[in-house]
Amino acid sequence: MLTTIEGMQSEIFVPVTPKPIFTELKKPLSECKVAFITAGGIHRKDQTPFNTSGDFSYRVIDFDTPSSMLMVTHGGFDNSDINKDVNAMFPIDRLHELVKEGFIGSLPKETYTFMGGGGNVEKFRNETGPEIAKKLKAQGVDVVLCTGGCGTCHRSATIVTRCCEAEGMSCCVIAALPPIARQQGAPRITAPHVPIGSNAGEPNNIPMQTAILKESLEWVRDCPHYNGLKVLPYEYRHNV
Amino acid sequence: MSITKETVKAHLKDPAIFCCRRTKGLVISEADLEDPTLFDDMQDAGLLTLQDDGLTIEQVLGSTLLHDVEALTPITAADIDAVQNVSVSNPVPVSEEVTIKKIDAAVPRIKTTQGSDGMIHIEIGKANAIEGLKVDVPVLGNTIGQPAINTSTEGEKKQDTVGTKRVIRTLVKKHIKITDAEIGDETSIKDGKITIDKHIVDKAVKEDPLCISLTLDVIHPDKRHVYTDTIMDVCPIATKVEGELGEGITKVADGVVFMLTGIDEDGVQIHEFGSSEGYLDEKMFFGHPGCADKNDIIIRCHAVIKRKMGMTRPGPFAAHKCQDYIIQAVRNQLKTYEGEVVREETCEDIRRSGNPRVVLVKEIMGQGAMHDNVICPNEPCGIMGGQKNVDCGNVPIMLTPNQVRDGSIHALTCIGPATKEMTRHYIREPLVEGLASDSELDLIGVIFVGSPQVNDEKLWVSERLGSLLEALDIGGCIITTEGFGNNHIDFIQHIGQAGKRGIPVVGVSFCAYQGQLVVGNTYADAMIEENMDQGGFENNVAGCSCVTKEVATRAIQMLKNKMAGVPIEKAPKKWNNDVINHNNKLLGLPETKLVDVGVLH
Repeated sequence: MLTTIEGMQSEIFVPVTPKPIFTELKKPLSECKVAFITAGGIHRKDQTPFNTSGDFSYRVIDFDTPSSMLMVTHGGFDNSDINKDVNAMFPIDRLHELVKEGFIGSLPKETYTFMGGGGNVEKFRNETGPEIAKKLKAQGVDVVLCTGGCGTCHRSATIVTRCCEAEGMSCCVIAALPPIARQQGAPRITAPHVPIGSNAGEPNNIPMQTAILKESLEWVRDCPHYNGLKVLPYEYRHNV
Repeated sequence: MSITKETVKAHLKDPAIFCCRRTKGLVISEADLEDPTLFDDMQDAGLLTLQDDGLTIEQVLGSTLLHDVEALTPITAADIDAVQNVSVSNPVPVSEEVTIKKIDAAVPRIKTTQGSDGMIHIEIGKANAIEGLKVDVPVLGNTIGQPAINTSTEGEKKQDTVGTKRVIRTLVKKHIKITDAEIGDETSIKDGKITIDKHIVDKAVKEDPLCISLTLDVIHPDKRHVYTDTIMDVCPIATKVEGELGEGITKVADGVVFMLTGIDEDGVQIHEFGSSEGYLDEKMFFGHPGCADKNDIIIRCHAVIKRKMGMTRPGPFAAHKCQDYIIQAVRNQLKTYEGEVVREETCEDIRRSGNPRVVLVKEIMGQGAMHDNVICPNEPCGIMGGQKNVDCGNVPIMLTPNQVRDGSIHALTCIGPATKEMTRHYIREPLVEGLASDSELDLIGVIFVGSPQVNDEKLWVSERLGSLLEALDIGGCIITTEGFGNNHIDFIQHIGQAGKRGIPVVGVSFCAYQGQLVVGNTYADAMIEENMDQGGFENNVAGCSCVTKEVATRAIQMLKNKMAGVPIEKAPKKWNNDVINHNNKLLGLPETKLVDVGVLH
């Protein structure tokens, strides 16, 4: 017979962090093929918009798409920054500049975007994530950077990033909500001081966007261990 | 959209927050609401501010939105057409009322006997829907008049003897009264007074070339406001007079302990995460299991070791080894000293067959430097003859409760002063005492498992522990760890090893604020906090936040609850001492009062 006493409460909070996943980058950045994915709801203006109440589908975006052809459909945050400059979430113009500069080797032909708000964890983990990862790997991608918007968006972003890491690419989540990326098990995290919706930097602030990208790429190269977080010294506030 | 119909049930009382911007006319469903488990992080990130007038999820489901509302904004009565009625009954019992139940953890009792009347009698003691049922079945053939045979099953035999104590071995600890100590001209114990030859340090220092010097002095309980270098260890004076560790007779000096302090040649404290140099009266939690008691005389042995050796494995060990040479001289005197026995403690290794089998797993440090322990030395709490767990590969090692209570562990303690378990801790470990004396359980042993330095090795060691736990066929276990940080990776892994095998497990650690877990898994749902610092920090007070009697009592009760299937409420997302005191109150334990030494790292 065991004496039991009802109403006891566990005294220590336990975060459930998924198992570590880490692919070391073994090439100089200047020789790497770098992809950028986003959970921030970016798509081409002529593509079907995302369902803002949850959507685990993704859109294929050619990297040579002009940024003026892109838009956002995401209900989880104020879209005005992205409306001003899509590079605030998906810095496609900055990436081309980095290739030109020789900071990175090349971009793949195409990338994939999704809307991670409220994302269905199982679908992203078992279907969308692995599919995107395989398609990037097939294009010879070495490095994947990722942004997300709202809270659950960070979770979806992290899940898909983990899939890419598992496929053998070195990845980093550029997070506005680093605690979520951290706990959800992002392989690497950089965290500029920005609001959700402008993870990649203030709209039209080219030096800030470039710096966030470069330092995130350097963190892919330098981060010593799984789930390593680097706070980036760039601050931007917006009044909604 | 963020929460499903299933998860919403667990969060009906949580604040209702739109996950995304929502427009006028929407009939609110769970799909529109943000996952409440993310609120803490969102608040930390400044993205969300909860309001007192915010409604709960159950108050808004099915209501219609009167105007557009932004994402991450609390929903108030002004935003919706009607606040939904809320069920009065509170699904989570938060009452102060205590329900104590006896739950039979044994298998349903079924007894089958063949009687001399030619019938087979089947008696089901208890089953799900039937109780006390007896069925008599005629035996085929003519057996009337033959002697009755008993075909009782093994389980039934156990049932007859549930909880029956079988003593495997006995240890008697004789606590010998010591009333004074001094450093003098010879080593002796006379009339309750320990005298240590002042020249012994010259021989002791030669025990290890890394030790430069040793000094001895005596600190009486009323004169503790003296400066001390960092406290490396508190070690009892105990010696075997009959038998091996764990059996026979051990003499323990009562009212006196050794305290080892240390620096290197450059004056650097021998420490790792935090050191406890300062005034002794402020730097030790007197009365805690690992520490000196209120009225103990402290014989301080201060070691100086070679420069830069403090954070290597041989350096701190040299200090312990040289001190042990001195303690051994006192042990030799204690063996023949026939002083007053203040207390005779009988410890038994027992089996309580039929009770649920449990083990205690103690994760000890094994990362090298001073992160090591000597296991099973020749003398209680000694060094000689023991093996270091780092050298053993940190693999799990099973000891009997008596071996632990007879000083099988000499701690080469490290980590933070407040959260390390010193040598004295193990000889009177409250969880060992509590589990061994619990007549409802069958404590089959205490497993010590080291925490290696490398992540892969941690996982490897944990796998070995998992196989061992499985083979032991236990009904439950408690897993503890000293310190915090990287060892929590192993700690959580160990909990997972038990959990995934369906073994009910309770974890015990210092976490609080500074040591909050970095990893987790779903099995770590019954956890006991050791913290006693106001801010939840490693506060550099030796032995402050360790396993105490209260911690042990809560852990054992929580284990019983888990084994019996009594739900344990989820931990709040942040350390809160009220939760600990809520549990204390349920169990009739004194309040856990936190110490404020002003530590804010």
